[in-house]
Amino acid sequence: MSPLAIGLLIFAVTTLLLATGLPIAFGLGAVALLFMIVFDGWNSVHFVPETVFAGLSDFTLVSLPMFIIMGAAVASSRAGSDLYEALARWLHKVPGSLVISNIGACALFSALTGSSPATCAAIGKMGIPEMRRRGYDADLATGAIAAGGTLGILIPPSVTMILYGIASETSIGRLFLAGVIPGLLLTGLFMAWALFISWKRGTRLIDEDRIYSMKEKLELLPKLLPFIAVIVGVVYALYGGIATPSEAAGVGAALCLVMVVVIYRVWRPADLWAILRDGLRESGMLLLIIGTSILFGYMMSSLQVTQSVATAIGELQVNRWIILAAINLMLLVAGCFLPPAAIILMTTPILMPVINAAGFDPIWFGVILTINMELGLITPPVGLNLFVINGITPDVNLPTILKGAFPFMLCMVLAIVILCVFPGLATWLPQVLMG
Amino acid sequence: MQALSRAFGVFAAGLILLSVGVICQMVFVRAVLGQSSIWQTEFVTFSLVAATFVGAPYILLTRGHVAVDVLPLMLATAARRRMYLIGHAIALVFCAFFLYAAVPWWYDTWVSGQTTSSIWRARVWIPYLSVPVGLSLLCLQLLAEMVMVATHRTDPYGLSPEARL
Repeated sequence: MSPLAIGLLIFAVTTLLLATGLPIAFGLGAVALLFMIVFDGWNSVHFVPETVFAGLSDFTLVSLPMFIIMGAAVASSRAGSDLYEALARWLHKVPGSLVISNIGACALFSALTGSSPATCAAIGKMGIPEMRRRGYDADLATGAIAAGGTLGILIPPSVTMILYGIASETSIGRLFLAGVIPGLLLTGLFMAWALFISWKRGTRLIDEDRIYSMKEKLELLPKLLPFIAVIVGVVYALYGGIATPSEAAGVGAALCLVMVVVIYRVWRPADLWAILRDGLRESGMLLLIIGTSILFGYMMSSLQVTQSVATAIGELQVNRWIILAAINLMLLVAGCFLPPAAIILMTTPILMPVINAAGFDPIWFGVILTINMELGLITPPVGLNLFVINGITPDVNLPTILKGAFPFMLCMVLAIVILCVFPGLATWLPQVLMG
Repeated sequence: MQALSRAFGVFAAGLILLSVGVICQMVFVRAVLGQSSIWQTEFVTFSLVAATFVGAPYILLTRGHVAVDVLPLMLATAARRRMYLIGHAIALVFCAFFLYAAVPWWYDTWVSGQTTSSIWRARVWIPYLSVPVGLSLLCLQLLAEMVMVATHRTDPYGLSPEARL
């Protein structure tokens, strides 16, 4: 059987198996093991423990649980609603300040937590009722938060980018920097759309009933600035060559834990356990998927599938932009069903040789891939953010949220197009700061 | 079974917390005291791999392992239950094979007293032990979940019978 035919068979079996709803980690492992035994013989079972353990014993991977603990600590506190409140107070004289504060708070909070659903929950709980009370339509209020929450995987530090960095063997530091300008661009596009549509619908954009005193404006800052300082510190430590991503994240996690205890008085054992439990659940889940996807990658490579697919695509006499469009389409479809982690870990080993052969910058592609994964978070049937929003505003049904989120999806597609036309938006910052 | 998985979950969470502390200590030793770190990198890396394996049964118990539940959501309860059992039986077979290979893999390092190649020379069998231990529990937890679903004591995938796409 040719490697390409084996590849197709692997694709079919994986799709079938994952569709049964078994945990993705076990599904990938089972497919890998099945093909290893069928094509390489029974003895290949004995490669499993060593392959998985060696793959996971990588110090870079340590950054993952550390960033997750950091995010879980921040998400457990009231920092999200304080952040939203602070922005709303400072910006309330700006036309459309409410929408801007909401999307801005999403961008900042998602950078702090790196978690899209946590951002939707934290900002949405305060922001959506407030927007609706002030006359914004339900679809815009919910759609803006669903989309705003996705910014977390693009704006550093981002767990998704760490996964891509590990799978593609590119620098995590560079990837983080590459996400900054596109992250701001996307935030700007989201705000512009929200302002435009509220203006067009005749929503009252300026809130004249409420005036905030300087004291009210200042009182929340001492609570928030330390968190922002930690994020800036972590990012600075990464680029100053002071610390590796794992070390910076570890210290950041410790500081955030201390800060939620001191500033937000999250000190009851049950609260602290909740942070650790959430951290364990998310990082254990991700690391197990990484472990079995390493096995999956090993199987694909030992059966020559990875190499054959890359060669076959390389031999296609088509424009490289068509290849890129096809890859994006495929990722988009996958994103409708699978979480970003699984897609990145499964597809990157195959896509990397193709991207390199087509002459695209792998760091730039990481940004495109991440925006594509953001889309998957708000597309049905398994767009996680949609369900989180539905959970916190049960009176708004899913189709309404989806209707509100759709224009923001187009903003993301527009961002991908802009990045294709001006790749420098992603590559300039890492180039200037890291050489 | 649940208590055992929870106990190991607490242990795994403790390993993560310990790792946070050790990283801070490592950064302090290196950046402030100007000394080189010896054992910390390996300790943290192994702790987190161990946490992944011994924490896996707890994560399964609390439905933390992500899955694609689009198709199950389209099915009626009886078919959903059958699909759950088929999928999880496959997961169980994978974990059982993994365990079958992990036991001799761990045992060899125990007998030979193999150590890591760093200056710390950690005994390899200690972190390796987390793999067979975690997988044994994981197999039992998978089996327990399947029995609960097969005997109608819990709903498959944790979905209420009314849940639809």
